[in-house]
Amino acid sequence: MSGYWTGIVAILCFNIVVAYSVFLPAAAGQLNLGAAGFVAIGAYTSGYLSTDVGLAMWLTIPIAALATGAVAFLISFPMLRTRGVYMVLATLAFAEIVQGIYINLEIFGAAAGYPVAAFAELDIIAPITIVVILFVVFLMATRFGLSMRAVHDDERVASLFGVNTRMTKVAAFTLGGVIAGIGGAIWAHQFNYVEIQHFNILLSTFVLLYVLIGGTQTPYGPLVGAVFFTLLPEFLRVSNEWRFVIFGVIIVLMMVVRPEGLVTRTLVERFYGLFWRRGRTAVADR
Amino acid sequence: MTDSVLSFQAVSKNFSGLRVVDEVSFDVARGSRTALIGPNGAGKTTVFNLISGVYPIDDGKILLDGVDITRLPDRERINMGISRSFQNIRLMPHLSAIENVMLGQHARARKLGSLLFPLGWLPGNRWASEAADALAQAGLGTYPGEVVANLPYGVQKRIEVVRAMMSDPKVLMLDEPAAGLNEKETGELQLLLEGASRRGVTLLVVEHDMQFVRSLCDHVVVLNFGKKIFEGPSSEVHRDPGVLEAYLGSEAVGDAA
Amino acid sequence: MLILQQLISGLMIGGIYVMVAVAFTLTIGMLNFLNFTIPALFMLSGMVAWGLTTVGVHWALALLGGVATATFASLIVERFTYRYMRVRYGDATEHALPLVSSLGFLIIFEHLVLVILGSDPQRFPTPFTSADFHIGKLIIGIPQLVSLVLALVIVWGLSIMLKRTRVGRALRSIAENPDAATLMGVSVNYIVPIVFVITGLMAGIAGMLFTLNYADINAYMGDNVAAKAIAGMVIGGLGNIWGAIAGGLIVGLTEVMAIHFFGADIVKIPIWGLLLLILLVRPSGLFGHTAIGKGKF
Repeated sequence: MSGYWTGIVAILCFNIVVAYSVFLPAAAGQLNLGAAGFVAIGAYTSGYLSTDVGLAMWLTIPIAALATGAVAFLISFPMLRTRGVYMVLATLAFAEIVQGIYINLEIFGAAAGYPVAAFAELDIIAPITIVVILFVVFLMATRFGLSMRAVHDDERVASLFGVNTRMTKVAAFTLGGVIAGIGGAIWAHQFNYVEIQHFNILLSTFVLLYVLIGGTQTPYGPLVGAVFFTLLPEFLRVSNEWRFVIFGVIIVLMMVVRPEGLVTRTLVERFYGLFWRRGRTAVADR
Repeated sequence: MTDSVLSFQAVSKNFSGLRVVDEVSFDVARGSRTALIGPNGAGKTTVFNLISGVYPIDDGKILLDGVDITRLPDRERINMGISRSFQNIRLMPHLSAIENVMLGQHARARKLGSLLFPLGWLPGNRWASEAADALAQAGLGTYPGEVVANLPYGVQKRIEVVRAMMSDPKVLMLDEPAAGLNEKETGELQLLLEGASRRGVTLLVVEHDMQFVRSLCDHVVVLNFGKKIFEGPSSEVHRDPGVLEAYLGSEAVGDAA
Repeated sequence: MLILQQLISGLMIGGIYVMVAVAFTLTIGMLNFLNFTIPALFMLSGMVAWGLTTVGVHWALALLGGVATATFASLIVERFTYRYMRVRYGDATEHALPLVSSLGFLIIFEHLVLVILGSDPQRFPTPFTSADFHIGKLIIGIPQLVSLVLALVIVWGLSIMLKRTRVGRALRSIAENPDAATLMGVSVNYIVPIVFVITGLMAGIAGMLFTLNYADINAYMGDNVAAKAIAGMVIGGLGNIWGAIAGGLIVGLTEVMAIHFFGADIVKIPIWGLLLLILLVRPSGLFGHTAIGKGKF
């Protein structure tokens, strides 16, 4: 694989991982427009552990993930008080504050950026990404995943059926944070440099868009969304700015034509139906 | 006093100064089939909301099997044995029929192992089989994988009942389960509920369909403007003057006379 | 004295934030959606006006052209976002649909401007730069004062319109209960675009005033204003127009004070911090919000 495409695949892995970090809270009804904040925490943590502490990547990445998860856990409780547009604004505020803090911290290089010692090849990044994908697909297939989706659809009724909606949302938000930390670590070890300017609202916006355009009904949506938005520019041989204009147009058209996202439940059911005729829906043949 | 599984004692509830439930007391005998009826706005759904814990009460007590559940959070009440359906369909619109029914099992699946068991990957697993069987027994076996938002009204209504039954409740509260159902569907619903009753589940049903109430329920509580105006056997309700006055002119009591 | 001067600067810039904050709060209150295109409309007004002057259009006409562009763009957004919002009180992600569309439009407008007009910051040829008057040692820029007063008058006019006119009543009835409004004969398809027109006008005029007063414009000026306008809206209470006025001014003051005491790099933190604090502690804002979304039970 040429160096160029290796770079694209690495970016794709990053996009997939951060998409899932936003998907998990979204699946439980929590819209997160602050992905960049969590990713930044993951990136700086793993970078610092690598450069200043000298730890190897098999340590920096998990520790960064847990650290980000811890922050997400703490934030998730006040976030419980917010809903809908309020939560979007609160998560956005969080990310902006994180950005504001990091840009002033000399220990992390402030505005100039922070170099990261260890480099991660694709043969590290790709398996990590696959593990994240499998984990989320697994989680959504469990009863916990079912309760997440119940909370998304109707929190009040879910509670009446015994679902601990608070803890479900905290768990979804925290796990999202852990995964965002992994994403940040991937970024840090792939580019060997962390600049806070990259972790901005545009990044948060695009990550949320991968998820909403990919589809929140199934765990395959964010994967499709990330792939779509990462590979699309490769097929649009136009200038950087025009690519964004086209992105914007696609986003608007998608919301008009297919607001539920590219991948829907029904689509996945049909897909399984094709080569798994005795699957879930075959319970009907009784 | 017969063994009362649910005791509603002098309960009052205000909404913005309006007394929606006014010192209502009634008992639901274990194993009985009790109807909660009254004209629109009488407070019946509010009573359900108070019992299931959607709203806190302002005064009074609610006892389930002798245990005071008045302060218990809504999430815990299903563990105590209360389950319900809703006047307007409150299924999870993006979930399939079988998934909605499996939500009803949630209260029974509390161990961490159950929570993390990959239901979606093993089609024959016990939870899915149980849910699928329940749907099949209710005559809804052709729909399990279908997203409920796509299903007809009558089917959705009955899926809600199946979902409520899945938690193995002591008291099954149903809010207008027959509303909008055609004759065949109403008959199937009745069979379903009679089956539950035979298994020992106590039924508490809010309904306007008087024929349904008369054929299913043995005991009736009547509310009007937030106050209880009658409690007794269903054979006597249409003779009570207070009830007649509340429903005066209404076809519902008229056809009983 | 210096503090007082800063306070005045804060109020002046606050006046501009007020208009954008009101645009946000109006859309949220009336239509239950957070319109992220508004900062782009603000930017369009300024950049298009500048672009027009480079092809020889007189500055006053250019400014009007800018405002017109912003208003027209707002109508395009209405056509392709709100009109398609079939679910009004949907679940968590369905709520996000118009927001996502508005983000899409933000991306489109911002990058169209980047392509056509470039990313370099520009100076608008304003004729007013040094007209100011003095009270003791305080300097008050006349164009800024006029802008502040103009902004307040426009917003006051808007609130009068909402209270007293038929259109205003129709708008408020749609905000309360869109289905009932339709039943009562309010033509939703005709009235809703009016909200977008007002939004476009307010954002456009704010952009125009900003350009006139501060003359430094670039393709990213919308992003800068967005944070402050949203903070102003939240502080004042979502849907509350008078609250947005107070909120916008408070944010302007906070910004100027933060820069004065701590330097420009840190300004994000107090503004977003204030917003987050309000959202968590008193989400209805300092002055209370109009009900957004109705309950289901």
